[in-house]
Amino acid sequence: MLFNSLGFLYAFLPITYVVFWRLTGKMPRYVWLAITGYVFYSFWNYKFCSLMLFSTLASYLAGLGFLRWQNPALRRLCVTLPIALDLALLGFFKYANFAARSINGISLWFGGTSALPILDIVLPIGISFYTFHTITYILDAYRGVITPTRNFFKFAAYVSLFSQLVAGPIVRFRQIEQDFENIDRADRTADVNTGWSFFVIGMLEKVLIADTIAAVIDPALARYSELSTLSAWLCVAGFAYQVYFDFAGYSDMAVGLGYMLGFRLPQNFNSPYKATDIADLWRRWHISLSSFFRDYVYIPLGGSRGSRFLTARNLILTMMLVGLWHGASWTYVVFGAYQGLLLVLHRVVRTRWERLPLWTRRTATFGLWLLGLAIFRASGFDMAFTLLEKMLTWHAGAGIVGAGVLIVMLVLSAAIAHWAPNTFEIRHRWSQSWVTGFAVLFGICLFVLYGSRPAPYIYFQF
Amino acid sequence: MGTAMGTEKARRSVWRLGYVIPRLLAVVCLVDIGLRFMSIDPFTFRAWEALLRDRPPGAAFEPNRRYYNARSYGDLAALGNFPELRQYRPEQFTTDALGFRNAPEILDEEVGAILAGDSFAVGSGVSDDETLSSRLGALMGCPVYNAGSDAGRVVPDEILALARRLHLRRRLVIRLYTEGASVPALPTRREMLTSRLVDRTPAEVRALAGRLRGLITVSPLRSLSGRAWKAVDDGRILPNRYAANVVRATLYNGDTMLFQAAQVTSFYRRPDLSLDYWKWLRDDLEQAGVDLVVVLVPGKYAVYRPFLVRQPPAGRGAGDYLDRLERALQVMGVPVLNLAPFLKAEVARHLERGEYLYWLDDIHWNARGIALAAAAIREQWPLAASSCAPGRVESAGDGRSIGK
Repeated sequence: MLFNSLGFLYAFLPITYVVFWRLTGKMPRYVWLAITGYVFYSFWNYKFCSLMLFSTLASYLAGLGFLRWQNPALRRLCVTLPIALDLALLGFFKYANFAARSINGISLWFGGTSALPILDIVLPIGISFYTFHTITYILDAYRGVITPTRNFFKFAAYVSLFSQLVAGPIVRFRQIEQDFENIDRADRTADVNTGWSFFVIGMLEKVLIADTIAAVIDPALARYSELSTLSAWLCVAGFAYQVYFDFAGYSDMAVGLGYMLGFRLPQNFNSPYKATDIADLWRRWHISLSSFFRDYVYIPLGGSRGSRFLTARNLILTMMLVGLWHGASWTYVVFGAYQGLLLVLHRVVRTRWERLPLWTRRTATFGLWLLGLAIFRASGFDMAFTLLEKMLTWHAGAGIVGAGVLIVMLVLSAAIAHWAPNTFEIRHRWSQSWVTGFAVLFGICLFVLYGSRPAPYIYFQF
Repeated sequence: MGTAMGTEKARRSVWRLGYVIPRLLAVVCLVDIGLRFMSIDPFTFRAWEALLRDRPPGAAFEPNRRYYNARSYGDLAALGNFPELRQYRPEQFTTDALGFRNAPEILDEEVGAILAGDSFAVGSGVSDDETLSSRLGALMGCPVYNAGSDAGRVVPDEILALARRLHLRRRLVIRLYTEGASVPALPTRREMLTSRLVDRTPAEVRALAGRLRGLITVSPLRSLSGRAWKAVDDGRILPNRYAANVVRATLYNGDTMLFQAAQVTSFYRRPDLSLDYWKWLRDDLEQAGVDLVVVLVPGKYAVYRPFLVRQPPAGRGAGDYLDRLERALQVMGVPVLNLAPFLKAEVARHLERGEYLYWLDDIHWNARGIALAAAAIREQWPLAASSCAPGRVESAGDGRSIGK
């Protein structure tokens, strides 16, 4: 079920909301949130609910283990076993075929005949997100950052909280533990306007901006070999705004839904296109993911505490894993490696870089990001090379159908992404005319949703 | 003063997104529900969608309906969103009390045969007097009952149930099978059970179930919004995302013809013949004393492919499905007429005169194609007016059959 679907807006959300606030007491609300999470998830494939339940149970039991045992060996077991199970599930469903194809390819390259079977695997939606929820819980409990909960339904409600279940943000237990603890004392009216404001803005970002851009660039990129240099740049710039408004829109809707139910989810995008360097961009882009990799991969690897070489190695390795997290494809690994290299380069030239004018740094950062996105968007290396070649050398070629609409959307998107305040910077107290404007635009969104199947979010595939 | 402040406070409290948006959602939802109780005829471009909405289980269309559209056009023009390629034509579509495309009075008349099949049998895109059943009825001198339906699923139990309700002079079923339609399969136990249950359910209950299904599944607001989207996704303002559903091809005379993309793809495949189904259909009908004759209709792509300016090379066996099926049915002793060679020859002859046997903008054959097919059937099985009298159809050794 998608947030931008009529079934969600007309049935799931009202029922969840009304029943939640009708219930009193912690336990009924935990149970209700857990049920709604599983119902929400089952709309994709009910069979995978058991997978989520398994992951939840394993992590919950690990938490109980931490409460019970102080013996370091047993605690280590409690941390390694459930994480290994989580990673094994993620590895099997997301990366098994990728690994088999890669091994087969390498074998063929060396003249071998290895033919590992390619399995018929369906990727459970959101697995990259909810396994990371449980991993952060286990690691934080192991490190003593949080006290594990004894209440299974509270934990199940946290893992399956529908607003963040399938595309994040990757909310750590400690970030919303307080809200879960006070769930019985939450005030329905306190944040409902803020919640709707986030939700409406997220919907506009997704339906009116991201999906409109996608309607133009997707057919154009399907015939990428025919693009001219200008068209290639327009398409990649379009994709930069599409992916931003698609995911930031989803995150805003998730935050809004959280507010409606009394949860304050953390910020996931902090105007990344206002970044002045690539490190700054990654501090602002998909914050919950980049901070996960910073805290649980980069720092344990040694972070920047070692030599320059080790720091560079840690950066590149971490960013390659970030890339791989996005999908089982070598293009994502190369995208990650490219980002890692940029971060290393930035460390080398930081002093000189910071002497440049602000607009130069912003433009250059965005330009470098666009080159990376050409790799990210590509379905394979052929497409990546072709797109980059077309962007970096002059090519005449076909124009884009809908170029006029695309240019208007790019101007609008750029104005919002590069200059306007983001949803966490505004007060969400709107005047009558703003409310009217939002209502009209939301009405247009609804009309759009009636006429077309709701477009899935880009990050669902990850 | 106090009242004024109270009013001001209330006014301010109304202009909150937490107040306005949920109510907007509720209003749009109510409008959607309200529109579902209205006729969808104004939102439709042809009879098909309008008459399918409230179709009771077991019926092909909504019973006792008369639909007229002076500017109906083809399904492919709609499917691919090519307004410039629409061929506008008037369409009259009438259904009887059982929910099939016939004049209502047919239920009181003696019927010569039942025509069963898919939208080609129904006569999508043509008016009541141009359907195959009408043409055959005129040639035979007694009405032919049109039992064509959307699904094109022909099950002996349903045919026999229909036969019991009609005044059949002759127990004859003409089974029309169109190339490119889904390969017929034996119904599952569940489907059989459902079919029997539907047959035993009172007509009023079935009508109510059909109406309820229509209310739940068909949203005029969705149609309206879909139309608005199509106006924008026209290939100029925004790319036409519907275009991939349809193959747009040029004939050697320069005319543009549309084909369903799925039909073009399936032309180059070799699906199984599903002979189990045909044996089952033959045996069950035979057991009930009903004669079966089969008419095989070629798909539009198979017929017009030789006349396209550009045509992908056809591999071995491409497009031979009807020939294989014809041979298999002959071996089984089922009287069969394969219209493919005949229509291909006729298409070539008519194309020289700039005439078509299939609509340019539709999957289906047009009135001219139907008339020619009816004449071919009549010639194959010379069922003259006298043959509308009770009798049997027998199969000759070569698969040809004659009325007796």
